[in-house]
Amino acid sequence: MQPAVELRELCKSFRVRRPRAGGLGRRLSSLFAPRTEAVPAVDRLSFSIAAGERVAFIGPNGAGKSTTLKLLAGILQPDAGEVRVLGFVPSRQRTELAFQIGTVFGQRSQLWYQLPPRDTFDLLGRVYDIERREHARRIETLTSVFALGSLMNTPVRHLSLGERMRCEIAASLLHSPRMLFLDEPTIGLDVSAKAAIRELLLAESEREGRTLLLTSHDTGDMESVCERVIVIHQGRLLWDDSIGALRKSFLTAKRVTFWSEAERLELMLPGVRVVASGTHRTELEIASDVTPLGQVVDAALRQSSIKDMVIEDAPLDEVIRALYAHAERGCVT
Amino acid sequence: MCHMTLSDVAKHAAYARIAIAQGRRERGELYGRMVFFVVILGVFSSLWRAVGETGLAIAADPKALVWYLAATEWILLSAPQIHIEIQETIRRGDVVYRLGQPASFVMAEFAAGMGAVALRMPVLGAMAFACAFGFTRWTPPLATIALFIPFAVAAVAMLVALHLWIGMLAFWMQDVAPVFWLTQKLMFIFGGLMLPLTLYPAFMQRAAALTPFPVMLFTPASLMRGTGAVRPLILARDLVLWGAAMTAAVQWTYRRAMAGLTVNGG
Amino acid sequence: MIRLANTLGFARALVATNIKASLALRGAFVVQALFMALNNVTFFVFWWVLMQRTPSLRGWRLADIQVLFGVVAAGYGLTVTLAGGVRYLGQAIEEGVLDTLLTQPRPVLLHALGLRLQPSGFGDMLSGLLFIAWSGQLSWRTAPAVVLAVVASALVIVACGIVFFGLAFWLGRVDTAARQLWELLLTFSLYPEPLFGGALRFALFTVLPAGFVGYLPARVIRSPSLPDMLMLVVGALLYLVFAVQVFQAGLRRYASGSRFTTFG
Repeated sequence: MQPAVELRELCKSFRVRRPRAGGLGRRLSSLFAPRTEAVPAVDRLSFSIAAGERVAFIGPNGAGKSTTLKLLAGILQPDAGEVRVLGFVPSRQRTELAFQIGTVFGQRSQLWYQLPPRDTFDLLGRVYDIERREHARRIETLTSVFALGSLMNTPVRHLSLGERMRCEIAASLLHSPRMLFLDEPTIGLDVSAKAAIRELLLAESEREGRTLLLTSHDTGDMESVCERVIVIHQGRLLWDDSIGALRKSFLTAKRVTFWSEAERLELMLPGVRVVASGTHRTELEIASDVTPLGQVVDAALRQSSIKDMVIEDAPLDEVIRALYAHAERGCVT
Repeated sequence: MCHMTLSDVAKHAAYARIAIAQGRRERGELYGRMVFFVVILGVFSSLWRAVGETGLAIAADPKALVWYLAATEWILLSAPQIHIEIQETIRRGDVVYRLGQPASFVMAEFAAGMGAVALRMPVLGAMAFACAFGFTRWTPPLATIALFIPFAVAAVAMLVALHLWIGMLAFWMQDVAPVFWLTQKLMFIFGGLMLPLTLYPAFMQRAAALTPFPVMLFTPASLMRGTGAVRPLILARDLVLWGAAMTAAVQWTYRRAMAGLTVNGG
Repeated sequence: MIRLANTLGFARALVATNIKASLALRGAFVVQALFMALNNVTFFVFWWVLMQRTPSLRGWRLADIQVLFGVVAAGYGLTVTLAGGVRYLGQAIEEGVLDTLLTQPRPVLLHALGLRLQPSGFGDMLSGLLFIAWSGQLSWRTAPAVVLAVVASALVIVACGIVFFGLAFWLGRVDTAARQLWELLLTFSLYPEPLFGGALRFALFTVLPAGFVGYLPARVIRSPSLPDMLMLVVGALLYLVFAVQVFQAGLRRYASGSRFTTFG
């Protein structure tokens, strides 16, 4: 089956003006004959996404995430390489592609501020040429799935950020797109709102077999919604695999929290670092390739009676930070 | 105002200095005004020449009328539209911080307005008079211009006070813009912005005399026509009287606002 | 054919949504419309007073000024109601609003123009029609000429707006300069053309087409003639076509990313 997204050696550079330093003469000549420099934003990027996959697309600021997303959506033209989304070439078949994709930009709204979401939904029905009966049916479905109920008739300016986000996502799904691009969809939301959004995205995607490409700085978005993560750095592909594989092969650290009878545990073992401690509680980070986990537990039991113990993987945040740090140091996986 | 000490003056002068610094950064608007001068004076020099051809007495000397327009526009455009900022300060509830400061809100805003004037007036004045000279190839006698300038400054100060008063209406109104527009339009007509009031039908001239607008625009600008019809001492007296009335209105409005203050926001 | 019908349907829906959004602020809507009408009236007082004292100015009488005023006001009102987004085009380009429009299957320019509606435009349209009526030129017989004149004037205003504010594609923050040019166009269009000398008059029918916004449409209403109507229609369409080409060129540049100085 044809992949939903296919990128091959995709390149995009931006011309940045480098002002000439120096006196008035030089600066004037800079105005009329500017010296520009090509700064690569996307550098021979290649990957593909199968239909129905849910992929997290992450990277530090300035990595080229937004640029890639814009290239996929047909907003920007690539300099070189090939890109196909749902079988279309975005830069040449923008309109045809637009009927098949939905976009949610976390910091930009497509809902009309003074009006209830229903009015925007009506307009979108005309934007996407949705037949009237089908349009009514879709609104009913989305209203029930997203629990929009009374929100539909409340002016957007009176909605909370979480409620607005639910409406935004529903709006982007109105025309039943085969693929959804989400750029920071949970930014600014509180914990329960984030959880609600993530559940909805996961459920919707699973039910409809919709392909998702999500960029986010929140690893919770990644872990709750996506199966696969693509990491880019300075425009190049850094990592492309499942989230479990990311954790397993990249960082072998474990977090262990002990609740002990002794007030404090003193474990002087190599590869073991105290992350936090309180009375009767010690949280350790263990590099399990240096000191096996079993050895640490034994050592703790020898020191004191242990009332409770929790073993966790290192937070994904740290895994990713370590990945970027490795990339900075020039160690590309 | 008579109770102000030297330190009070210094305090408010600081507001003026900030306004000047801010004005330097918002040059775009000033450039726009300068372009506007070129266009409007160009159009009107043609217009008055055309009117002169019809034999209308007042247009016998179209050059003086162009300088008249330069004068009225200079006064009008030199006054910053401080009502916008004041409305925002009140609407956002920031006014609370200002009221807690040891400087009168009214005096501070006025000082800030005059600070902006200190920057705009010389620049716009140079532009206005350069354009007027460019289109007429003539200047009024230097003594006339010298006499006009202090009256112009006083007129601009009155305009600033008027804008200040309009801004303070935000204590009661959600949006003072309509009041500003209405006042501005009335000023264009009854202040004789483009046409000297002497051209108006008698009933309109009588109506204008009931407003402060003639002493802000028409009368000072008429000095530039050098007809001798304007007596400087009378103008000075009228400016003082209307200025006092304006000050009283501003103070009264401020006291009413303080008495009934509920702060927005939160 | 179906595509055109769908696009028209979309345009209609856009206008309807705009009107709903404006009505949502009921009070402000009425105030803005009323005040704009009032604004136009007070500006006209200057001409009324002047023309009382000198009935003819290089062949122009008060009725002629009324028609000129009316057609520019009505044309401007039509522009800011149906294509109100034109004044915010520079902002839309700078702030990336075009990104959202590019991901939707509708013509970007049409969508961008239709994103806003200025309620004061209704005041302009109303006062414009009243001025034309006041001049005695509004009747069932002259109605077609009036409609043609107002629509053509509006098309030229929109076209100029697209070009002025579209400069943002190449120059970045141009809002202040673009607004100045926009106001310059309207200022010149409100004064009788005989006031302007040779070179300026030429400019007002070419680079700053105030002649197509005020003078020519007014002449079509006052003394309709086929050559004038043809010149008006052809002129308006040419400017519109030119403006659309400029916008498309700008959009290509936008898509090439050349205007970016940062990326992420």
